[in-house]
Amino acid sequence: MQETLKKLQQEAITAIGKADSLERVKEIEVEYLGRNGHLTFILRGMKDLSDEEKRVIGPLCNETKKTLEDAFAKKIKEFEDEQLAKELSKEFFDTTIPSTARPLGHIHPLSQVQEEVERIFSQMGFTVADGPEIESEYYNFEGLNIPKDHPARDMQDTFFIQEKDDEKHLPAGQAGGKMVLRTQTSPVQLRSMEKYGAPLRLIVPGRVFRFEATDASHDSMFYQVEGLLIDKDISLSHLKGVMAEFLTRLFGKPVKVRFRPGYFPFVEPGLEVDFSCLLCEGKGCRVCKHSGWMEFMGAGMVHANVLKAGGIDPKEYQGWAFGFGLTRLVMMRYGIDDIRLLTNGDLRFIKQF
Amino acid sequence: MLVSLNWLKDFVNLPADTDGKTLGDLLTLKTAEVDNVIDEGESLKNIVIGQVMEIQKHPNADKLKLTKTSIGKETLQIVCGGENLKEGMYVAVACLGAKVKWHGEGEPVVMEKAVIRGVESYGMICASVEIGLNNPNEGPHDILDLSALKPEVGTPIKDVLHKDDIILEFDNKSLTHRPDLWGHIGIAREIAAITNNKFKPLKVDIKTLPTGRQVPEAGESVDVKVKNKELCPRYCGLIINNIKVGPSPDWLAKRLRATGHGIHNNIVDVTNYIMTELGQPLHAFDKALIKDGIIVRPAKKNEKIRTLDSKEYNLDETMLVIADREKPVAVAGIMGGEHSGINESTTSIILESANFKASSVRKTSVKLGLRTDSVQRFEKALDPLLAEEAIKRAAEIILKICPEASIAGPITDVQKFNKKPVKVTMDTQKAKSKIGADISTQEMKKILESLEFKVTEKGRKTKTFVVQIPSFRATKDVLSEDDLIEEIARIYGYENIAPSLPHLPAKLPLENTERTKKHRARELFSYGLGFDEVYNYSFYGLTDVKKSLLTESHHLKLQNSLSEEQTHMRTSLVPNLLKNLQENVKYFNEVRLYEIGHTYLEIGEYFPLEEKKICGIILTKGKSDKIFYEAKGCVESFIQKFDLSNISQASCAKNTPYAHPVKSLTFLDHNGKSLATCFMLHPTVQKNYDLDKYSIALFEINFTEALKLEPSKKSYKHLPKFPSITFDISVMVDKNTEVKKIETAIKNTEKELISNVKLFDIYEGENIEPDKKAMAFKITLQSQDRTLTDTEMSEAQAKIFASLKSLGGTIRGMNK
Repeated sequence: MQETLKKLQQEAITAIGKADSLERVKEIEVEYLGRNGHLTFILRGMKDLSDEEKRVIGPLCNETKKTLEDAFAKKIKEFEDEQLAKELSKEFFDTTIPSTARPLGHIHPLSQVQEEVERIFSQMGFTVADGPEIESEYYNFEGLNIPKDHPARDMQDTFFIQEKDDEKHLPAGQAGGKMVLRTQTSPVQLRSMEKYGAPLRLIVPGRVFRFEATDASHDSMFYQVEGLLIDKDISLSHLKGVMAEFLTRLFGKPVKVRFRPGYFPFVEPGLEVDFSCLLCEGKGCRVCKHSGWMEFMGAGMVHANVLKAGGIDPKEYQGWAFGFGLTRLVMMRYGIDDIRLLTNGDLRFIKQF
Repeated sequence: MLVSLNWLKDFVNLPADTDGKTLGDLLTLKTAEVDNVIDEGESLKNIVIGQVMEIQKHPNADKLKLTKTSIGKETLQIVCGGENLKEGMYVAVACLGAKVKWHGEGEPVVMEKAVIRGVESYGMICASVEIGLNNPNEGPHDILDLSALKPEVGTPIKDVLHKDDIILEFDNKSLTHRPDLWGHIGIAREIAAITNNKFKPLKVDIKTLPTGRQVPEAGESVDVKVKNKELCPRYCGLIINNIKVGPSPDWLAKRLRATGHGIHNNIVDVTNYIMTELGQPLHAFDKALIKDGIIVRPAKKNEKIRTLDSKEYNLDETMLVIADREKPVAVAGIMGGEHSGINESTTSIILESANFKASSVRKTSVKLGLRTDSVQRFEKALDPLLAEEAIKRAAEIILKICPEASIAGPITDVQKFNKKPVKVTMDTQKAKSKIGADISTQEMKKILESLEFKVTEKGRKTKTFVVQIPSFRATKDVLSEDDLIEEIARIYGYENIAPSLPHLPAKLPLENTERTKKHRARELFSYGLGFDEVYNYSFYGLTDVKKSLLTESHHLKLQNSLSEEQTHMRTSLVPNLLKNLQENVKYFNEVRLYEIGHTYLEIGEYFPLEEKKICGIILTKGKSDKIFYEAKGCVESFIQKFDLSNISQASCAKNTPYAHPVKSLTFLDHNGKSLATCFMLHPTVQKNYDLDKYSIALFEINFTEALKLEPSKKSYKHLPKFPSITFDISVMVDKNTEVKKIETAIKNTEKELISNVKLFDIYEGENIEPDKKAMAFKITLQSQDRTLTDTEMSEAQAKIFASLKSLGGTIRGMNK
């Protein structure tokens, strides 16, 4: 009996192995496990066996049955999988049809770069400060050591707000003078000194205005970033270090910083700051007009008169300030050749960022 | 400002082969920005004197000739079309490698061997325009004839024409604070200091001139009365007789031309020469046209003057004039009058070398709209000592170029200024600390002395300098310790300051929530809600005020504006966004854009109310109010994103004139203050902006106000332990019933059990009476402490039905 079972199993497994179609497997299955199948026949014969024989043969029968069932199931699955794979591969599906996801909107490039600048300076412990865009002449000029009739006022053509007749708009005291659209972010230096005193570490990114005709590289409104560091023992060497650090992080490659003498009434010494050309790395190319350097910003040690105006003792504290054009930085970064694109709301432009 | 290297060499020893570019770069790094260095001879390289030895006809062209032209060491075959070409003529030959402009037009091209109509040509015989010269006597088809100069064949043409100068062009802005740099002598002084070369001070000594040409100790002097010595601290006048007005000598004309001046006559040219050399503007009057001496006084009301530019100016009492007994003859420090100007018949002159107060000259110049080289210098605050030096130097040169001229008498010198030298104390330790470089006191002293500062050292341990400022730096430029530190830093060399990072405490920066939240808001609107961000100007025009139905009175107006479109400071972001739509509908069928920016509201105080607003706008083609609900959703998303609590809604948007009167909604804070609005654009505004073919919805958020609200605190609530039951209900109501009314009614029936009521459909049309509509809600029942039974649900439903029926509703159906 044991021999018969073993042989039967062997035969069945061989037959399954040889089966070349799902139908053939199913036929073999019926042949062995069907109502009149070979194994079923044996199982039926079990009842005629003695109890002792049953005890030995019973489990063996079940085991054989299980083995065969598994073998059939496995083979059937193989054929079904193959069949499915064949069917699926026949289907046509076009993955090149444009996606249906809701398109993302776009953040203006000025906002994007501004946030980057804010993040880098914040990481160096600089506060991001704000101030009004409509300023008094005092905060925009006098307080920053630019008295009336100073030739430097020529450098910053100013928009004035129409004067009102009531007293509040007449020149008086600190907040005095006419109201102007701030020509620089520097008034916030003064406001912050008044508000927080020294030491002070801040940047002011913001909108400024110049009364000058608009063309591809000039606009009557643009964005600046002011920086201010006041503490004890702060030097020009630190300005060089902090700016190199900032620019290196911003551009993601080593950037060098160069100083030249420059004149701004609210700083002394006053500086023009250049950085090494990103394209040629200082060797000289068309972009940097073969100088190896890109003009970047004005800076210098905060003038004693400005510190005094802000209520800070220039004998005790010293520091530097800088101001660079965020708009220009954005134009440089993305190769934008017309400044007006940044303010004309053309979505064909905005959607590129 | 243009500066001539040859002229500079009068005052500083410079090596003969000084490279202009290197010098320019050095000045840029240490003194002031040199924008441009022009080598006069550069464009004439490889162009030499040639002599035409032989002329033959060109075998293949009628208008061309074949020449043999000698350039000294060799004779070249050159094809030339010049009509005035003659054998023996001296000409300019552009040899191979030279740069020429064909017929004086376009970019210069490099000469190469050429075959012209089958004949080889080794160079070009040039017309003057082809090598950047200008010869008015030359015909249009002529070449430059240099025979009159009898030059040596083969000589570079730049030597023959004395084009041997190098011109440095300074950026005027970078000289704003340096009155001493507005003449060659000042630049030379700087160059001496930064190149370690010897400075050669100006020596004027008229007394050494031959007898009869000195400043006499007696004789006729100008009668000068200065009425306002504050505005005119010094006035020097000198009479020179026997003048012969004529053209200037070549050396003088050449220097003036090289530095960008026009050439007038010898006297006027000398005054310009002195101004360019020393930085002191001078003026010369025709003495015969001045009635009884000079009076320096404020102009009288309604006084007029016609100046040398042949324009008439109206003067007022704030302006200082030079006058004779009858009338103003010059606007002080700005320009002379036409009437008393130097002319061909002038024989006697009054020379003026004065010092005027900088701010007064500047104010007058701005008022008159008259800006001159003279103003440019006076407004920087000139050294009063310079006036005397300059008038003597002028006399010296006039006597040199007009040998018959004679000085009539002593210099009149009316003056009132402080001659005491300015002294400034400088702490050398502070200087080191501010520069951030270890510069020895010895070196600091050396630097200051190289710039003619006089240094006295004080103190042993911490050295202090007492520095006497030279008069030419003491008017405004160097007045404080920091000014001296700048002198040291720049001459020491900014390039020698090593970058370093400050040792500062690791202190958290002050928080600027508004800034950070502004960036988060951008992410919400752009990346969450699919809007594009734009930036617009802060102003718009009166037309926009009207087109948007705004009130003009709340606007701040600009006193000066660039266009009609930019006269009013914006009180709303909407008008400029509408203009953005007008442009963008040309390219897009659907537009979603927003701006975050300031608005400025006149509130009757000194400063206006400046608030930050967020304004978004949705445009779709055709007519549909669906986008209103998108705009509403934007505000709700904002409220959710920034955790604003206790916000309620009220219909209509107040103070929003451009909003549709009915299709508008206000969001209020707990105090009933409006935080945001959303609305369809008013049809009139839509029409005004030619956008009536579209549907336009907007939202406006007062960002400044919204951020003042305390954000609600989040805390965890346990997830429900028991299952909820949901069922749908459809109710038919009058068409003009608001959803809110039904929703509230449902909620109020079983406050404890109803956890959510959600509208999912509104239906009007077939199978419904024309004045009715059906609303379908999904209702969720949920208890925190038990599983709800069917009975409880049926009871709740019954209550809801009853409640809706009492409102006039008809239940159309219900689904579990």
